[in-house]
Amino acid sequence: MGKYTLIITEKPDTARRIASALDQDQNEKGTNEKGVPYYLARRDTDIVVVPALGHLYTVSAEKKGSSSYPVFNYKWVPRFVAERRARHVRKWLDVIMKLSKNADRFVDACDYDMEGSVIGYCILKYACGGMEKASRRMKFSTLAEEELEKAYVESLPHLDFALIEAGKTRHEVDWLYGINLSRALTFAAKNWSGKYRTLSTGRVQGPLLKFLVSRENTARSFVPTPYWQIKAKLQMNGQIFTAEFANQAIETWKEAYTLSTECKGRGQIEKVTVKRFQQPAPVPFDLGALQVEAYSLFGYDLKKTLDAAQGLYLDALISYPRTSSQKLPPRIGFKSILKSLGSTIEYKGLTAHLLAKTVLKPHEGSREDPAHPAIYPTGKLPRPFLNKSERNIWDIIVRRFMAAFGEPAIGQSTKADITINGNVFCLRGRQTIQQGWQQFYAPYVNSEETLLPPLNKGQPVDFKKVIVEDRFTRPPPRYNPSSLLQKMEEVGIGTKATRADSIQTLYKRRYVRNERMTVTDLGFEVLEVLKSHCQQVVSVEMTKELEDRINRIGQNSEKREDILADAIRILKPVLKELKQKELRIGERLSNAFEKTRLEESVIGACPSCKTGKLLVIYSRKTGKRFVGCTNYFTGLCKTSFALPQRGTIRLNGGKCSACGWPTLQVRMRGKTCVLCFNPDCASKEGKRRDQN
Amino acid sequence: MKCPICGRETIDGGYCKFHEGARQVVIRKYEKWRKAMGISWKEYLSKIAKNPLTGEWAKEVALYLLEEENKKNVKNG
Repeated sequence: MGKYTLIITEKPDTARRIASALDQDQNEKGTNEKGVPYYLARRDTDIVVVPALGHLYTVSAEKKGSSSYPVFNYKWVPRFVAERRARHVRKWLDVIMKLSKNADRFVDACDYDMEGSVIGYCILKYACGGMEKASRRMKFSTLAEEELEKAYVESLPHLDFALIEAGKTRHEVDWLYGINLSRALTFAAKNWSGKYRTLSTGRVQGPLLKFLVSRENTARSFVPTPYWQIKAKLQMNGQIFTAEFANQAIETWKEAYTLSTECKGRGQIEKVTVKRFQQPAPVPFDLGALQVEAYSLFGYDLKKTLDAAQGLYLDALISYPRTSSQKLPPRIGFKSILKSLGSTIEYKGLTAHLLAKTVLKPHEGSREDPAHPAIYPTGKLPRPFLNKSERNIWDIIVRRFMAAFGEPAIGQSTKADITINGNVFCLRGRQTIQQGWQQFYAPYVNSEETLLPPLNKGQPVDFKKVIVEDRFTRPPPRYNPSSLLQKMEEVGIGTKATRADSIQTLYKRRYVRNERMTVTDLGFEVLEVLKSHCQQVVSVEMTKELEDRINRIGQNSEKREDILADAIRILKPVLKELKQKELRIGERLSNAFEKTRLEESVIGACPSCKTGKLLVIYSRKTGKRFVGCTNYFTGLCKTSFALPQRGTIRLNGGKCSACGWPTLQVRMRGKTCVLCFNPDCASKEGKRRDQN
Repeated sequence: MKCPICGRETIDGGYCKFHEGARQVVIRKYEKWRKAMGISWKEYLSKIAKNPLTGEWAKEVALYLLEEENKKNVKNG
C-alpha cells in the first residue's frame, strides 16, 4: 500500500465502524499487528483507521523514580512510563507510530469532547511526529454510517485547540493537586505506622467528602421529635375511604387523644375543591439524568449505566452518551428515527401516534452542550442479544425520546374538607384525565390514582374509626451515588465524564461504605486533616471557580499558565505545613485506617454479652478461622463459633430468616452459599435430627 | 483529655467534637419531648437511646448520660 489517510479513533469498536462507513463497498478489512487491531478502507484514497485505548498519554513527574513531595514539574509521557499496569500501551503506540510513517493525511476521529480531544491531540503530537497542526477533525454524535461519512467528507480543517488546552489544563491541575496531597497523606501514614496504604484526595474528592461528612454529622447526631397524626376511616356509598386530620402534625400526645375522642359519629362535607393540573413532557436525557433515572428504576450504579450506554453507542443504537445537553436539534431527523423505531411491535403504535402529528417539536431542557445533543436513539434497531442492562437502558432512552414529543399530561386533584365537632379532616383524590406523554413512558411512570365518589357540600359522612398514629421526624437521608451525582451537577463540580469515577474512588479508598453512603472513620479523619491544613482544597467554591476558569480556556478567555501558577501558589504553603505536622497527621490517619478496617470486619453484635462485636478471627496459633467476640481480648466474653475452613468468606450484611442472626457468604468451588453460624438455628433442626 | 465516650481528643476537656455536637442536640430536643409527652429527663434519654431513628452519636451520648444519672442515683442512696 502506498500513502494513505490515517484516522485515529478513541476505541477499537469505533475504528471498525468508521472504516466500514467510509469503505466504498462497506467491506473494510480488519487486521492486527502485535495484537493491536486496525482497519483498511478504500474510497478515493486508501484509508487506515487505527484506534487508541482511551488515554495513551498522561501527566507524570519530570524526574522519574522520585516519589517525594512537593512536585511541581511534570511532562506528558506515554502511559506505560508512568503506570505499571499500562505496559500494553507500549505496543499500541509502536503500531500507531509505524502506521503514521506512511500516512500523508491525518484525521482525528476521537470523541468530540474535552477528553477525546486531548486523546487525539497527544497521539498526533507525540506518536505521529508532530502532526497535530496538520490534522483534520471529524465531529459526530452517533456512529450511524451516514453521519460518519458526512463527518469525514465535511471534516473540520483543524483540531479544536482551545478545547484541547482546557482539557490539558484540567489534567495538569488535577495531577498537581492529586499527586501532592495524596502523597502527603500516604507518606504521613506510612512514616508513622510503617505500613503503605494508598490514601488519596484531590480537587473534586475533597469537596465530595465534605458533602458526605456534613450529612453524616447530621444523621449521627439526629434526635427524632415525636408527633402524632390522626386518620379517620370514613364510609361513603358503601365504600371505606381514609381521611387525614387537616392540621397534619399534632405536637402533643394529650391533644392527639383528646381530638380522637371528639371525632366520633357523623360529620359532613364542608367544601369540595377540584383542581386540574398539567405535567409537561419530560426533557430528553443527558448523561446525569440517565444515570439518576436508571438508578431509581433498575438500581443500576452510575458506572453500570455508563457502560451500558457506551455499549449502545458503539453499536450505533444511540447517540454519544457523555453529553450534558437537554436539546434535540431537528437535523437529527425526528421523523426518520420514529419511522425506524416503529418497525418494532413494542413501539409501533406509539410512533404512529407521533408521526400523525403535523409538527414534531420536542420539549427541551435549558442545558446545552456545544459538542453533542441530548441522548437519543439513532433509529437503528438492536440485535436480539443485548444484555438485560443494555436492553433496559435502550428502552428508557427510546421511550424518553418519544415522550419528549408528547402532549402535557393532565391530572385532576380533589380535596374534600369534612367537619366533625368543629374538627376538619381532608379526603384527597387524584386521577389522570389525559395521559399525554405518559403513554410513551408508561412502564416507568408512577401515577397513583385515588378515585373518589361524587362529593357534594353538606353531604353526611360516617366516621367509622379514628386512628391515632405515633410518628417521629426522620433524619435527612444519607447520599447514595445517584443523589451525590445530582448534588455534583447542582453545584457544578467534576465533569460529566469523571463524576462517577470520583464517587467510586471514595469507596475504593474506604472513605465511605454501603449503598446509602456512610462515612468511615478514615473518611472523617482525612477530611479533618484537609480542613485543618488546607481549607481551600475542600472548598466547593474554589473547586467550582477552578472548573469555570478551565472551561473559559475553551472559550479563549482564560490562560492555562495563570491557572497552573495559581494552583502551585495555593499548594506550596499547604504542603509545607503538612510536612511539618507529618507525624501527628500520620498517627491520626493510621489509627482511623485501623478502626475502619476493624469495623469492616464486624459481622454484628455479640448475642451473648450484647456489648461486644462479632468478627471473623484468624488464630495465629492454629491458623484456623472462627467467629469471635471483640470482648474476648478484654476477658469479658468467650463466645466463639466454628466456621468452614475452606473457601472464601465475605460479610454480606444479611440476617438469617430463621433466627435473625447475622449471616456470612461462603464461596467454595465456584458455588456461593449463605451461612448462618448460629449452632442452635431452627433452620439446622433437620440436619441435627439426621445426625442423631 | 480523651472523650469519655469514644476516646478521641476533647474540646475544652468535655467531649470530642462529634459527641459534643450530638450532646447539644440531645439537650435541645428534650424540651420538645417534655412538652409532647410530659416525660422526665431520664425517661427521655432511655426513649431516644432505644429509638431506631436516633443517630449513632446521639444514642451513645444518651446511654452515657443515662449511666451517669444512674451512678448519681446510687451515690445519693
